[in-house]
Formats: sequence, C-alpha cells, structure tokens
Amino acid sequence: MRYLARRFVHAILLLLAVSFFSFALLQLAPGDFFDEMRLNPQISERTVEAIRAQYGLDRPLPVRYERWLGAMLKGNLGYSMATNSAVAPLLRVRARNTLLLSGTATALAWLLALPLGVWSAAKRGALGDRIGALATSAILTIPDMLLFLGLLLLAARTGWFPTGGMVSPGIGEANFWSRAKDIAFHLVLPAAGLALVMTPVLMRHVRAAMTEALDSPFIRAARGHGISRGRVLFRYALPAASNSLISLLGFSVATMLSTSMLAEVVLSWPGLGPLLVESIFSRDVYVVVAVVMLSSVFLVMGNLIADLLLFVSDPRIRLENE
Amino acid sequence: MARAGLGKSIAALGFAAICACFPACSASAAQPPVGEDLMVTTSPVGHAGGRLVFALRSEPKTLNPVLAEDAASQDVIRCLTADLIDINRATQKTEPALAKSWTVSRDGKQYTLHLRRGIRFSDGQPLTADDVVFSFQLYLDEKIDSPQRDLLVVGGKPIAVEKVDSETVRFTLAQSYAAADRLFDGFAILPRHLLESAYRGGTFSQALSVSMQPSQFAGLGPFRLKEYVPGERIVLERNPYYWKQDRSGNRLPYLDEIVFLFVSSEDTQAIRFQAGDTDVIDRLSAENFAVLSKQQAARHYHLDDLGPGLEYNFLFFNLNDLGPKASPDLAHKQCWFEDARFRQAVSAAIDREAIVRLAYNGRATPIWTQVTPGNKLWIDASIPREPRSIDRARDLLKSAGFSWKSDGTLIDAKGLPVEFSILTSSSNAQRVKIAALIQDDLSHLGMNVHVVSLEFHAMVARLLNSHDYEAAVMGLASGDADPTAEMNVWMSNGDTHLWHPNEAKPATPWEAEIDRLMQQQLVTLDYAKRKRLYDRVQEIVAQNLPVICLVSPDILAGASDRVGNFQPAILSPYTLWNVDQLYVR
Amino acid sequence: MKSRRKLWGALILLAVFHALILFAGFFAPYGFAVQDREMPFAPPTRLHFTDARGKVHLRPFVYGLKDDPANPGAYVADTSELYPLRFFVRGAPYKVAGLIESRLHLVGVEGDGRLFLMGTDGYGRDQLSRFLYGGQISLLAGLLAAALSVFLGVVIGALAGFYGGWIDELLMRGSEIFLALPWLYLLFAVRAALPLHIAEWQVFLLLVAVMGLIGWARPARMIRGVVLSAKERKFVLAARGFGASDAHLLFQHVLPQTYGVVFTQIALLIPQYVLAEVTLSFLGLGVGEPMASWGTLLSSLQQYYVLSSYWWMFLPALLLIPLFLGYYTMADALQERLKSVSL
Repeated sequence: MRYLARRFVHAILLLLAVSFFSFALLQLAPGDFFDEMRLNPQISERTVEAIRAQYGLDRPLPVRYERWLGAMLKGNLGYSMATNSAVAPLLRVRARNTLLLSGTATALAWLLALPLGVWSAAKRGALGDRIGALATSAILTIPDMLLFLGLLLLAARTGWFPTGGMVSPGIGEANFWSRAKDIAFHLVLPAAGLALVMTPVLMRHVRAAMTEALDSPFIRAARGHGISRGRVLFRYALPAASNSLISLLGFSVATMLSTSMLAEVVLSWPGLGPLLVESIFSRDVYVVVAVVMLSSVFLVMGNLIADLLLFVSDPRIRLENE
Repeated sequence: MARAGLGKSIAALGFAAICACFPACSASAAQPPVGEDLMVTTSPVGHAGGRLVFALRSEPKTLNPVLAEDAASQDVIRCLTADLIDINRATQKTEPALAKSWTVSRDGKQYTLHLRRGIRFSDGQPLTADDVVFSFQLYLDEKIDSPQRDLLVVGGKPIAVEKVDSETVRFTLAQSYAAADRLFDGFAILPRHLLESAYRGGTFSQALSVSMQPSQFAGLGPFRLKEYVPGERIVLERNPYYWKQDRSGNRLPYLDEIVFLFVSSEDTQAIRFQAGDTDVIDRLSAENFAVLSKQQAARHYHLDDLGPGLEYNFLFFNLNDLGPKASPDLAHKQCWFEDARFRQAVSAAIDREAIVRLAYNGRATPIWTQVTPGNKLWIDASIPREPRSIDRARDLLKSAGFSWKSDGTLIDAKGLPVEFSILTSSSNAQRVKIAALIQDDLSHLGMNVHVVSLEFHAMVARLLNSHDYEAAVMGLASGDADPTAEMNVWMSNGDTHLWHPNEAKPATPWEAEIDRLMQQQLVTLDYAKRKRLYDRVQEIVAQNLPVICLVSPDILAGASDRVGNFQPAILSPYTLWNVDQLYVR
Repeated sequence: MKSRRKLWGALILLAVFHALILFAGFFAPYGFAVQDREMPFAPPTRLHFTDARGKVHLRPFVYGLKDDPANPGAYVADTSELYPLRFFVRGAPYKVAGLIESRLHLVGVEGDGRLFLMGTDGYGRDQLSRFLYGGQISLLAGLLAAALSVFLGVVIGALAGFYGGWIDELLMRGSEIFLALPWLYLLFAVRAALPLHIAEWQVFLLLVAVMGLIGWARPARMIRGVVLSAKERKFVLAARGFGASDAHLLFQHVLPQTYGVVFTQIALLIPQYVLAEVTLSFLGLGVGEPMASWGTLLSSLQQYYVLSSYWWMFLPALLLIPLFLGYYTMADALQERLKSVSL
C-alpha cells in the first residue's frame, strides 16, 4: 500500500514538473498564434493586439502558468486559439481515435511478437530463428516514415485501400454495423503499418527475455528431470521471463499515445498526432500543453501499471519493498 | 335536398383536390409563395438533388462570421450566410444581393440600401432592417474585436448604420470612399432573434462555434448546418427558404447536401480528389496539377488553369531605420540596400522565367508590378517588362560605385565583399525554391547570397518585431482586386509596409508621393481618375523597387465531370462562390 | 566465432560506406550545388553498351536527354550523340575533408553529356553527388549526436548508479521528465535565436548537438543498470576495502565495465540520429539551401507529386538500408560478445 502511495505521489510531482517545463519551453519559441493575422493588410495592428489580449497572451509567463494551473485543477484545460473552443472536448475525440489505432496495432503486434519470439527462442539457432532474425533486421532498418509513405503510395496507386481519414463521406446516416465496418476498413492500412513497425522490436525483446530464462540453471535442471519441452517452455520459462515481459507491456501502454503519431500524420488518421503537429506549428499553446500532459499521464500510467503488476506477480519485489 | 348535397360533395371533392396539390407543390423546388422578392439568376438551369463533397485543408475554426479569419471557416460560412451586396467573382464587379437596390448621396458619403421583400432566414423567420443594424453592431463592437472591423473604419471613423424603415438601411461614412459598395461583400447578415440574447449577455464570442447545435443559428445562405463530426467532416443541407431562383422559377440551391471533409494537407486533398472521394478542388499547387492532369479522362474529372490570381511574390530588402540598434554589419549592408540602383541591378539579374518554370512548373506568370495580369481592371499595362540582363545589372552596379575583384567577387566602394542573406519561410516550398534560384542568379553578379529558411513565426518575428534581417522573399495576396485593400502595404505608416513599417513620416520623397496618391484614390469616385492615380503608384514602385516583384502563381482548380455550372474564378473562394448554382448531373 | 564474423562483416560494410562518403568529391561526378535548369526531375541516366545501330562498344556510354513532346515534363533519350564514360577525369575542384584540394573524379562524361546515375531533383542537381556529399553532413550529425547523448548518458547514469540514494532518484525522475517534454519547441527557439550570418552547416550542427544533448535519458538508464551491477562485483568491493577513493573506483573499475554497453549504444543510436536528422529536415529545421543532407534529399518526398511521379527520389532512402544494416549488425555482434564475456 505504501509502495503504491509513494509511486502515486511521484507521478503527480512528475506531471507538475512536466507542465511547468512545457509552459516555459513554449515561451522560448518566438511568435504566437496571431502572427499570420499581422501580415494581413486588412486587419490593423490594434485589432490584433486586442485579440491577443483576449487570450491573455500579453501577460507574463508566471501569471499565465498560474491561471492555467488553477483552471486545470478545476478540469478546464484552456481554450484552443485555433477553434476558439475548449481544449478538453477536442482532446477527448482525438485521443479516442488515437487509442483505437494504437490499441489495435499494439494488440496485433503482441499477438505476432509473443508466439514468434517464444518460438524462435525455443528453436534457437535453427533455420526458422535465423530467418526470423533476418526479417526483423530488414524491417528495423527501413525508416518508419518511408514505410508509411510507401503504404500511402500503395493506397493511392491501387485504390484497394482508402487513402486517409477514418470514415468515408456520407456514411453518417448508416447503421452501427455499416459504420463499424467502414472504420475497420480505414483502420487496416495505418494499423498494419504501425504493427509492422512495432513487431520486430517486440519480438527481439521477447526472444531475448525467453533466451535468458531458458539459459538459466533451473531450466536445465528441469530438462534434466525429464520434463517435456513444451511443459518447460510454458510452465517454467515463460513465468520466469514474465518480469521483462511485464515491463515491456508497461512500456507499450506508456507509449500508447505517441507511437502512432507518425502514422497518423502521414495517413491522415484524425488522432492526437496531426493535432499536436498543427498546434506546435501554429503556436496553439494550450492545446500543445494539454496533449503533452495527456501523453505524460499515459507514460506515468504505463510505468505504474507495470510496477503494480510486477509487485503482484513477483514475490521478490514485494519483499524488497515491504 | 339532393342538389345541395351534390353541390357540397362537389365542393368537398374540389377542396380535397386542391388540398392534394399542396403537399406535392411544397415538396419540390417549385414556385415560391407570393410576396417573396427573389433574385433571379442568369446561369444555366440545372436540376435538383444530389450531394457535393469538398475537401478542406484544415478544420474550420469557427462558424461565427464576425470572428472567422481563416480560409476554411470562411469557405463554410459563405455557404451558410449572405450579404447585402455581392462581388460577382466572375465579373469582379458588384451586384445586388440581399439589397435589391441602393442609392448614393451626391457627396458619396451616404449609401441607402433597400432590402428585398419577404426574405426569410433558414428557420423561417423574416429578415428586417433590424437584423442588418444588429449585424453591423456586432462587426463594429470594440469588445468583440472582429478582424473585419477595420474594413468599416473609413476616414478614421467607423461607419454609422441606421434603420430608415423596416426595409431600408442607411450607411453614413465619414468621408467619400471610392469602393464603398465593395465593402459589403463578406459581411454576413445575422439573425437578431437568435443572437441578441448572447450579445447582451456578453457571450457572443463563444457563440456559433463549429460544434453548435444546428438550431442555434439561422442564416440567409443557400445551405444550413446539418451535422458536424469533429476531425472528419461538416455536413450542410439545403436551405428551403433561400432567396434566389433560376430562370425557370426553380428555387435555388439545386444541391441537397454539401459535405466538407477535413484532410490534413494539400497533398491529401489532391489524392482524395483523384480517387473520386471529393468532387471539387481548388488552391491546387502546380505540381499536383501536373500529377492530376494525367488521369483526367480516365477518372472523369477536368482541371482548369485560370491564369494569374491576385497573389504576388516579391523580394525586398530591409530598409528600416534602425539607428543605434542596428548591428554595424547590418548598417553597412543597408547602405547598399538603400541605393535604388542596387535594387534595380538585383531585379535585372533575376531570371523570372526560370522561377516560373522550376518553382511553379510553368503555371505562373512573371510580374514586374504588384498588380497582376489577373486583375484586369487595375493593371498598368505600360509598366516595362524588362527581360533578364546581367549586363544591364553590371552597368547599374558600376554606376553605384561597385566593382569586381579578379575572382569575380563583387565589392562595394569601400572594398568590402557584397554578401547578404535572404530570409524565407520554411513551410512554403515554392518560396524556398525562389530564394534558392535567386541565390544562384545573383552569384553571376559576384554576390555571395545565402538562403535562411526559418520557421514561419520566427520569420514574422524578425520581419515585424526585431527588424533583424537583410532581405526576404514573401508573398501577399490581396483580399480584393480594388487597391483600397492594400492601403496598409503602400502607405508609409502602414503596419504591412513590409520593408519599413509604421514610419512616423515618409522616409523618402517617393514614399511621400505614394502616400499622397493612395489617399487621393481612396476618396475619388470616378474609376478613370482612380486608375490614373494608381497607375502612377505602380510606376513609382517599378522605378524605386521597394519590392522586387517576381511571379504570380496561376489559380488552379478542378471538378468532377458530373458537377454542372462549375465556374471557377481567380478571386477567393475560387470554386464555391456560386455554390447555390452548382448541380450534379 | 559467429559473432566475430558478423562483427567483421559489419565493419567492412561500414568502412566501405564511410570511405565512399569521406571521399565524396572523388566518387561524385558533380558538385552538390550545380544546377542544371534545363533538366529538372530527370530520371537516372541509363548506361548502354550497344548503340542504335547495333554496334557494341567496350566502353559504356550515355545518350543526351531532350524533352519529350508527347509528355510535358518527361524526357526521352537523344540517340544522335554518344557520350562515352571516362574514368579518372578532371572535373570541378573539391576538398577532401576540407584540407586536400583535388580535381580528380572517378567517372565523368565530356562535352554536353550528363551523367545522372540517380536522376536529378527539382533544380536539376545530380542526386548521386548530393547523396554522397549529403552523407558527410548526415553521418557527422549522427555521430555527433550519438556521441553527445552517450557521453551525457554515461556521466549521469554512472553518477546515479554509483551513488544511488537521492541522487539516483533525482536523476531518474529528471530523465522521465526529459522524455515527456516537447523538445521541438526548444529546437525552434534555438534556430530562431541564432544570428543570420552564421553558416548554414554550423547552424545545423548546433541543432544536432542540442538534439544529442536532449537524448541522454535512455543511454543513462542503461548505463545506470550496468553500473548498479558493476559496483557490486567482488573486485570492486575488494578495491573499496583497500581504501580506494570513489573517483578511483569509478574510473578504474566500474566505468571500464560499461564500455561494451557504451559502444553498443553508440552503434544503435547513430542510425536513430540520422533518422532524427531526416525528421528535422521534414519539419523545416534541416540544413539550408543549397547544402545537401540525406534529410533534405528525402524531405521532397513529403510532397505527393514527387512521391508519385519521380520514383528515383526514393533511392537515397533505399541506400540508407545497408548502412543501417551495418550499424545494427555491429550492435548485435557487440551485444553477443558482451553476453559471452559477462557470463
């Protein structure tokens, strides 16, 4: 219990620090949202200044941070200068879309990487393992950006898949199943690409964890006792490797919001990625801070979940921390 | 007894027959009820029904006409609202809209507009002069800070709006103003019955956001809001009370629905158009035009190159008077920049044809004046279009006291090599290309130029705040063909007088002359006289080159073959300006 | 030992690659800024051995290119004139590593002939030459950033692992914060604040350095892990028992145990930072015109018309794959050796 409480307090402090430093960073970069307006000959500078003052952009940094913090603690994440509406509802929809994509891709990647990693660790050195190593190396060396661009080109040239977005136009009136099928159809390319990018790394880690477990003395002893290979693998080695695997799972959760950013931007998936990129470039500061905070929450949550699961599953850690 | 019964039956039958007609009549786009003074359009007759899909490069920020400033919001708002006097994008001249006629007082300071009778908002409520007065109150309110407010400030004082009677409104200007009737385009008339309480309660700035309920707004445009899905699309449906009809008496618009899809970039816009997901595309770049044009026949769409629009790209030098704040390096370089012969030499050395060919794939026009050939009413055709000449440039530099070292480097009278940087925004690929081409051109003169491409905000900060730059490549796109739209650029005290903004008094005699001419054309009502004045401004700019005009990109648009009445124009919004007359085959 | 063969294989591949790039001036037919305004987006020049009349030449040759009247923007071969390939030609001057000047190029064609083995970009500049010269900037960026990251990572990770306690807590929490912040803003700020007359490549290296300094978090955690277990080794405890100072323990006993991990990290980070350089260029923070880097070469792919019409612009990306393969294989081999040693 105390362990949990300690981690929780750490998490809160971390989030606070992230919020403060993000705010400070944002102030360093020159310009603000209304620069484009200043270049419009039909709007006077006085008007631009008045609009800036509406958003409090003329106040000094500490004052703005204080106001933002106060508002955030009440659940108000500020206003987006781009849409002139509250940030929270905007974030909710985008985060949901991002989680749909990254959740699907992560699940796919684990479904592929876990069995493949275990199998290649068990059959270490065999042809299958060598082919697997080659394949993962090959995929690892292709830069993510080029992979997604290639997928986009494939979609545009062949027309087999939609070239972007989450839904087709005019699908709004259809029933739930048609809409679900439509979304699934749009999900194929980005999720497949993302899963392809994530699987090699995961598979290598799984293989490494399993290999370490399989090499340990007690496994040799178990084999010596005559316990079958299958039983050894699943009943003895896998639990031993579970520590690393749980940390890996925690890492997957922690990066759930940020892994899909590149895929979303290239393939026009309406998630947090394009929102963040656009907000950074247009200096929509409250949106940027809110997205960064949300990502940090996930980061912290992922680590917390992993630590919690480790605490529950591994008695050594429980003892260490009592 | 029987006869009375028969008569009653016949009457009843007759009455039933008449009643049976009514549902059929009101369902179709047929004859309007008596009492509505509808505008009759002259375009070809289309047929009703269908949906148009259009891709927006970014999401609309707001649906509030008073606050909207970005292109996406304005595109959607244009479909939802109407104004008093329209600028017909095809002819570039004004035509009656909600105001069916207007009279101008002799001194040119009073405009009396007569509204059409019987017009209703999209929720069925009637339009009256009170709505007009209320709308302009919103635009002029200093607490709301509408970006359009400055357009209504003429001669230093805001326009006065007063209701004469329920169908007449009078606008009074502080001074006579040449383009006054063009002012009204873009000022949407808003419903007082829906928005007055928000205004009185001080919450108007939050009203009419993109996520509002459709019932919260009623407009006078051809469509009304149906649905908004965040991150995906906005759907508009036909406004049954729209006040225009075609020549056959069918009430416009023809389309049942318009869908605005949000795509993340111009490239995605092009991809989706090619795939047939969208029906209309505008603001196409030259490269995507080339890609799309290969598949025109196969994919059943057509592309149009409308020639140069109003955008002009130019190179300019830092002519700010920085005084002691300037670094000695910059102060020294400004001695070169301030010599008109230096600027003329640079202009003579630039290969504009190469810029057209390489930066715009041939889809642009070289320009030597800030008025582009697309602006037929105002361009001064007598401005010389001097071809590129390195020799002429060298002669100009020699006469300005420059010379060359043995290895070809250009040095000034003090013997220091001529080198400077050209600033540009990294997000605009064409301008970066233009800067790179200019760099190469000027190297033939022995100048050592390097291109600094900064992020947009950083560039604006240097141009307008710190004035810490040497030269820059930028572009401006006039809001309207009329010169009054550019007052702030050419007046020496203007905010967007880019090379030396906000001068307390004109820094050079020619800038003083431009000031005088611009002020005069503002109050001159006769077009021929104004043209002569503005021609003179163009000549002075072409001689003194505060901006070295380079190219004007062509306006490129396209539509699916099934879209009828498609008439793209070079004024924004290029393709949807006549959305009420578009139909689907 | 298999890992030995792997390691040598990777080292040879990397050495060849790096030699090609170091001597870019020699291997590149043209300079990186030479524009041919008549030939924007020309496809790769094809080498022929047999001419139009069926005669076989021993020396390969190329044809000139002229505009294709049927297809605006495309080119067809002009078979009227042959330009034989010449080796060890005298061409434009260049400097090897900025010191030795030379005019010798490996291949070239004479007269009006053009040798664009990887096609040209929008300004008519030879992509092969720009790839080789660009490698100098990009690899330098990768090495610099990786070295800085690992250096900072070693310092912080060693301190955290060695002293433990609140120093460890503080530094590890700090690393979590570092991982979460939007560093793009800092890069924008740094770029915007620099005076205009600093040379573009210096600006770029500064941005890369900032990027490297920011990236200390992950190496630090790895080093910390190694230091934690290293400081418990028997011989370290023995040395401590003999009265060795902290500094002595750190430098003589603990840090040497981290070298394996350090080199592995560097090998893994170099490709990642090369990719980060590409991303910076995509975002507009790349090295300025007319300099070439792999990022600026690839950033034109962001535009759809390039992606779909000019396939040769993809080639620099494909050529990166063997380079990354080399580094990852080297990292793999190093890791395997580490395992075998530490057991």
